[in-house]
Amino acid sequence: MSGSTTIAPDPVEILAPQKQWSGQSIPRKEDKRLTQGEGVFVDDVKRHGMGYLHFVRSPYGHAHITSIDVSKAEEIKGVYGTLTGEEVASLTDPFFQLATPPGAHLKDYALAVGKVRYVGEPVVAVVAETRDLARDASELVEVEYEPLEALVDARRALDDATPVLHDDAGSNLMWEGVYEWGDLDAAFAEADRIVKIKELHFHRFNSTPLECDGALVEYNRGTGQWTIHTNNQFPGFAAIMMGPAMRTGLDKLRFVTQDIGGGFGNKITSHPQLVACCLLARKLNRPVQWTEWRTDFHLSMSHGNERWFHDTEVAVKSDGTLLGFRTKALDDAGAWLRYEPLGGVIWAQVTPGMYKWRNIRLEFTQVATNKAPCSPNRGYSRMQHLWFTERMIDIVAHELELDPVDVRKRNYVKAEDMPYETPNGCVYDSGDYAQMLDLALELIGWEGIDERKNEARSRGKIVGVGIGSTLDSGTNNFGQSRLINPELQFSGNNEVATVKLDIFGEIVVTLGTTPQGQGHETTAAQVVADILGCPVDDVHVRAGHDSYWNSHAGFSGTYASQFAVTGLSAVKGATDMLAEQIKRLGSVILGGVPVEALELAEGTVRIKDNPEAALPFMACGAIINANNAGLPEDLDVTLNCRYVYRPPFEVPDVERKFGNLTLTYAAQIHAAVVEIDPETGHYEIVDYAAVDDCGLRIHPQIVEGQVMGATAQALGAAMHESFEYDGDGNLLTPNFYDYHVPHALDMPPLRTGYIESASPFTPLGTKGMGEGGGAGIHAVCAAVQDAMRGHGDAIVYDSWNPYARVWELLNKPEHARALVEVVSS
Amino acid sequence: MLLREVEYAKPASVAEALSILAADDGARALAGGQTLINVMKARAASPDVLVDLNGLDELKGIELGGDGTLTIGAMATYTEIAGAAEARARPILGEVCLQIADVQVRNRGTIGGNVCSNDPTNHLPPLMCAVGAQMTIVSQSGERTVPASEFFLGVYLTAVGPGELLTKITVPAGKRDGFAAVTLGADGTCIANAAAGINGSVRIALGCVDAVPVVVEPASADEHAVREAVRAAGIEPPADVHASSEYRSHLAEVLAVRAARQAAERS
Amino acid sequence: MGVVASSKAITVTVNGVEYEREVEARKLLIHFIRDDLDLTGSHIGCDTGNCGACSVIVDGGLLKSCMLLAVQADGATIETVEGLSEDGTLTPLQQAFSDHHALQCGYCTPGMLMSATALLRANPSPSEAEIKKALQGNICRCTGYWNIFEAVKAVAR
Repeated sequence: MSGSTTIAPDPVEILAPQKQWSGQSIPRKEDKRLTQGEGVFVDDVKRHGMGYLHFVRSPYGHAHITSIDVSKAEEIKGVYGTLTGEEVASLTDPFFQLATPPGAHLKDYALAVGKVRYVGEPVVAVVAETRDLARDASELVEVEYEPLEALVDARRALDDATPVLHDDAGSNLMWEGVYEWGDLDAAFAEADRIVKIKELHFHRFNSTPLECDGALVEYNRGTGQWTIHTNNQFPGFAAIMMGPAMRTGLDKLRFVTQDIGGGFGNKITSHPQLVACCLLARKLNRPVQWTEWRTDFHLSMSHGNERWFHDTEVAVKSDGTLLGFRTKALDDAGAWLRYEPLGGVIWAQVTPGMYKWRNIRLEFTQVATNKAPCSPNRGYSRMQHLWFTERMIDIVAHELELDPVDVRKRNYVKAEDMPYETPNGCVYDSGDYAQMLDLALELIGWEGIDERKNEARSRGKIVGVGIGSTLDSGTNNFGQSRLINPELQFSGNNEVATVKLDIFGEIVVTLGTTPQGQGHETTAAQVVADILGCPVDDVHVRAGHDSYWNSHAGFSGTYASQFAVTGLSAVKGATDMLAEQIKRLGSVILGGVPVEALELAEGTVRIKDNPEAALPFMACGAIINANNAGLPEDLDVTLNCRYVYRPPFEVPDVERKFGNLTLTYAAQIHAAVVEIDPETGHYEIVDYAAVDDCGLRIHPQIVEGQVMGATAQALGAAMHESFEYDGDGNLLTPNFYDYHVPHALDMPPLRTGYIESASPFTPLGTKGMGEGGGAGIHAVCAAVQDAMRGHGDAIVYDSWNPYARVWELLNKPEHARALVEVVSS
Repeated sequence: MLLREVEYAKPASVAEALSILAADDGARALAGGQTLINVMKARAASPDVLVDLNGLDELKGIELGGDGTLTIGAMATYTEIAGAAEARARPILGEVCLQIADVQVRNRGTIGGNVCSNDPTNHLPPLMCAVGAQMTIVSQSGERTVPASEFFLGVYLTAVGPGELLTKITVPAGKRDGFAAVTLGADGTCIANAAAGINGSVRIALGCVDAVPVVVEPASADEHAVREAVRAAGIEPPADVHASSEYRSHLAEVLAVRAARQAAERS
Repeated sequence: MGVVASSKAITVTVNGVEYEREVEARKLLIHFIRDDLDLTGSHIGCDTGNCGACSVIVDGGLLKSCMLLAVQADGATIETVEGLSEDGTLTPLQQAFSDHHALQCGYCTPGMLMSATALLRANPSPSEAEIKKALQGNICRCTGYWNIFEAVKAVAR
């Protein structure tokens, strides 16, 4: 079966009344400009006299900087100036660190100061009249280095002999914490079998958005105002990091974005480069433009967390009931903590995965290595943990010769258990995992799998089938940061929207978000149109983000699977306010009719029982804006409404590491069929099914698009994509030539299905979604392992399984077999 | 991403091209550019002068001789080769060209550029060895023909010396050819490849395992004979992020068998 | 034309408009289009010629404009995404992309549209396999490609 098909579920009871726009896949407002090449991405923005910035980057994984000489570069006609780490260290303060000591002691600046700690680290910035000249001049910058031994294996990070990256920290340990809930001793005593897994590894990769980072920064000397055109997807965070470092108030940092070419979390931590641009814009008194090229991005930007799981022990009954687990998670954060160590707690949003076990211990250790700094990547920190969880499930089933479907269903949290409080106090709002699994199995043709395997065998091939179940927790409670560092003063979350009815009846919406393809302009308009009872084409949502709209708050941005909750709830809140104001105005204008007797319909406010008595929105806007004499003094109507949505959170209990860390839990269950050529290890995904549940869908096509995109990325990561380093810290996959991302010919046939379990916790019944949780990786690993059954019985121990590894698993299973052991309790 | 300064010329004749190449040690021929431009973007190599061959009709075209011999201009693109009726005289050529990269690359990339760059992972060097191609090289002092087996000399190094140009490739008639590869993604960069031609005797060329294609001539296209021949060649392939030396060796053997089988099954 | 020079005056026709410019020999066609001609619809997504975001049609042939020097395009007729729609209304192909949600962030879309355009001109009724092969040189990170196949199928005859 080729292409993709979607199977509709049995009808689901919809809690909200039937809506005219929400729930429909209306044409996207963004598409007209994007299909005509009229989008405005950051590199499209130009300013007269702008200088182009090129970063001189470290060729070493670890080295002292012994001298820097920019004089030859600066002599070149057309070179406007340079910036060095020494200057940066005098002009700015180190970036705020989220960690407790030793990580707290890191001194992180916009450019390397004194030392370089990863290949590709920016050392000097050169600004010139043209891109080419900046690049040429950078070759005349003379940097002398004294190379040091590089650390690339996190497992060696805390050995005595290993070089320390940050003398300020005194250790490569960045953060550690122990999480334990339930009664481990009892669980292990009750177990019939203990499955021990020595080592599992989640590999380093990211989502390589097609557009890399970039900025065009202008500085206004008169006002001290920076205008930062950029594609940073979390301006709230960027501002909080940049302002104090630059010794300036946050209002002096105006962030402007329009179209962003993909983010996936990888555009959150560009603040060091943005600071360099800001300092140069001020120093040189001209706009400064920075384009990050693909190789720059691969070398330096936002690698996903690489995580080892050591000495895992799973307590299980003979019938497959899972009682508990303990493990040691070792997280390789790269050279700097740019958003870390939040990854050290964010995994805990999904501590038990989809399963009911209550007794869990996880020791989390995060270390620095001479690799690019890690920051959020689609599925941030939950994906790693959920992959680990699915590996445990699958390996347990494999070793105890149980049916992986049965083990899952036996242990899944059930629909009737929802809302379900996990061992660490997170609340899964709703969901029916068993139903989703059944749907996935039907889509993949589970019943006929043995036949499929036999047929493949007759051709000399091996077929394996696997399941990957995952959660996409959305809308963070930033209070979880206190579990990392109790001194941090963050908690809750927010998002902002404004809706106004303008003088000629235009309905104008501004958001605080920074969409990168999720269709915010469209879905926001749907919500507004439903509340105001007007055509969706009458609702104009401004494209992008601009601090000057004052439509943002501390956590504004587009990340962490939350727009359908935070952004759309802010939109709903603002529109509800506007609707109420329109009615109160209408009440006065229509002769004192009570508000309850009015309705909004067809772009008017009118009397329910006498629809002819109607005031068009245009009239409302005109009256308030230009013709307001004679209105009652106490009529508090502006028709310009701003709403801040605040999800209901408490500060978590730092002692017990207990509390609700995310508001909603979307889910995905995938099934993959792989066909392996045992002679070469080459394999293909020959069939694939993805089932998702994200609560009520405002725009089904957009939701499906996110599921598909996440699937494709997960398949690429599972089979091909990895940031591999050599012993000196050189990245072996620094561009798309060696880092293979899937293209059109690589795509398997796809079948999709869905259910809708509305969230009881959100104003619209929606759940955030988009990250996906890496289900494709979990499913492919499971499928490959299934193929190993009867062919050496290797277990899959790494999330990255290129052909070479599959060949090794088949031909040298001893290494994998040595990692797992089953003992009787 | 940004190239160093370079000078550019677009000669109107081969003679003119040769003259510019001879005049400057740092002059390089620019064929399809699908390799050279990338190299220049990375600043891994920066010629002083680029001699654009795209205006030279003498280097284009595909001709089929009466005896079935194909004469392919060095500037024939992969798309042209795959679409040429003449090239169907040796079907493996078009089949392999269609496996190279993507349509954008195939519209510009040339057979001459592919063999002259001699990247160890390229498709055409081993294929030219397997089909017994003859490479015609011209310089200001004249023309000479070098068999494929003597054309590839080292990493990125061929018999085309400074001041010289590859003008055409002559491929004898034949249909019993095979090509097998393991690639990074479908139709991607080769991790290992092998080309086989049977014309009386069996000739198999292994790509990706050394600086130049490694040619073996097993006693027959039989699996056993092929494996023996590959092992006897004593290859020590490089290790990289996609394959260890051992894995690549193993792939070379398997692919040689498959290429030979393909060739033997064609009539 | 044997002049050896580090820059050259070139004439190109882009989307029906003729431009005369002096360009350095080293300037890539994509930079010329974006920076010199202010046609920013074609995009750059990589630096090794893999992603196809810069795909344009030159003298009727689809190619990646980051893999060609601007000086090589002297005298050529170039089509970019901005030239697909004649009057600002979406073409059937562009409409199909929107209808089938074949774009999310829109960054790969111009290149994807040019590749699809080239395909449909040469082959108005492509099979799914032919569509996939034709789009192999265009990377998308958002959609997973499935909707793009559907969009092209929708306008295929």
